[in-house]
Amino acid sequence: MQSHQGKCGYLRLDGYSSDGLEQVSDSGIDKAFLKDQFPELINLSDSHHVSRSQQGDLLTLIELPQFQAPQHAGLTGIDPRVKNQLETLQLHPDRHLHFGRDPELPNKDTLEFKKLESFSLSLNTSVWDPPSLNTFWFELVNGAYGDVYRAKGLMNLPDGRSIFFNWIVSQESSQFLPLQEISDPNGRPRSLSELVVQGKHLDCLRIQSTIDLCLLNDAVLEMHQMPLRGQQKEAIPST
Amino acid sequence: MNHAIISCLHANLPAVEAVLNDIDKQGIDTITCLGDLVGYGPQPNEVVELIRKRGIATCQGCWDEDIIDGLNACECSYPSQLAERRGHLAHQWTDDQLTDENKSFLASLPTSLRRDRLLFVHGSPNSQHEYLLPDMDAFAALERVETAGADILFCGHTHQPYVRELRDGSIRVRLQNAEHGNDQGEELTLPMRKIVNAGSVGEPRHGSTNATYVIHNDATDEVEIKEVDYDVDRTCQAIVEAGLPEVFAWRLSHGFEFAEQAEDASHVCER
Repeated sequence: MQSHQGKCGYLRLDGYSSDGLEQVSDSGIDKAFLKDQFPELINLSDSHHVSRSQQGDLLTLIELPQFQAPQHAGLTGIDPRVKNQLETLQLHPDRHLHFGRDPELPNKDTLEFKKLESFSLSLNTSVWDPPSLNTFWFELVNGAYGDVYRAKGLMNLPDGRSIFFNWIVSQESSQFLPLQEISDPNGRPRSLSELVVQGKHLDCLRIQSTIDLCLLNDAVLEMHQMPLRGQQKEAIPST
Repeated sequence: MNHAIISCLHANLPAVEAVLNDIDKQGIDTITCLGDLVGYGPQPNEVVELIRKRGIATCQGCWDEDIIDGLNACECSYPSQLAERRGHLAHQWTDDQLTDENKSFLASLPTSLRRDRLLFVHGSPNSQHEYLLPDMDAFAALERVETAGADILFCGHTHQPYVRELRDGSIRVRLQNAEHGNDQGEELTLPMRKIVNAGSVGEPRHGSTNATYVIHNDATDEVEIKEVDYDVDRTCQAIVEAGLPEVFAWRLSHGFEFAEQAEDASHVCER
């Protein structure tokens, strides 16, 4: 997307339940991160923007959660229900590639597991103690709370920054990507903040209780932010 | 003659027993303990009583000090809010478990022990809470050893064993005399000094679950860092059964090199 000269779009499809497994609801983390990186991003999930899917230079990232690889290669492998969703948007795929099957795509990010547990937690208005967040994330992805295959989150820091945390078990290390938009260090942030964890034998209660130990209360948050507001004032030139 | 140095036992009885057995097998009679008998682990009374029974010369660690004086250290003691809150849980649990007699023993411990040119402390000569990390600025490290009047400083606290030789040390003092417009300088060349960190018996963080201790030969000054295997699962189970934070058991069972560190590890706590 970064190298594309024209407009970029994002479309999140819902996915379907399979063999008694239910799809979790979309946390919105990916959309929030992409919107931060590409402020002009067209959200094709929004029905108001559907007509814009036909713009000639539009590059669209389509996200579709699936439990297993499609049974057939090529275009015939696309779930008919997904085809219907795409047709509603007047999108007609000419190729269909799948991670873990088609050699054109990297294989390392493909996870195969029969039963997946999922834990998600809204952290809106929550602010982390930064070194505690560092410790929590290390523990989380190294198995202190169960076998984590996938974890991602948008985390708020007291200085107004929000960081995208991203972990896949097949990769050597986590990604920590700061969002471009920075809130004023003035109370609790309003931007989306969420944590999603997928894996096996997850101890959700202990994840939650550890997070509770890491989040700042109002008084401590103010202690962090007060000097930052002072610095901001100093940075504004007097007239 | 060989003597052994142990540190940071952290109420881990299986680890302490295994290390003492290993020392006994080598026929070493002189053992010095650098403190932190309690904290994090599930057997504080048992460990204190074993050290008392064996008559092991011991100096006071930061956890031992906190149990006696209360949690009145400045904020530097914990590198994060999470570590602080977990530490307080473990402190409260340990405080509830320890007998008055064992608390009196911890209160009686000196902050340092000295044998000739050897100095034994928990953290540093300045404080039980100060970390002498292996990559600490060489001048600061040399200053800690030199001002304590020691040739070899034995410490613990970091849970990572190491031997650091400070060679070719010198301190240069230069005075500028404005009246006469000339510089007066003096340079002191220092003999080699050594910092020996014994690691941790009860909560190793050196990339392995093995307990560590150190053997020093006071005739040759040779130092050997020893690793001892012990029943980690037994301790982990006891941690969970005691109701201590389960993450302590997880950390122990992995021996992660990772450890939280304060922003300024050499900061001296101002109580």
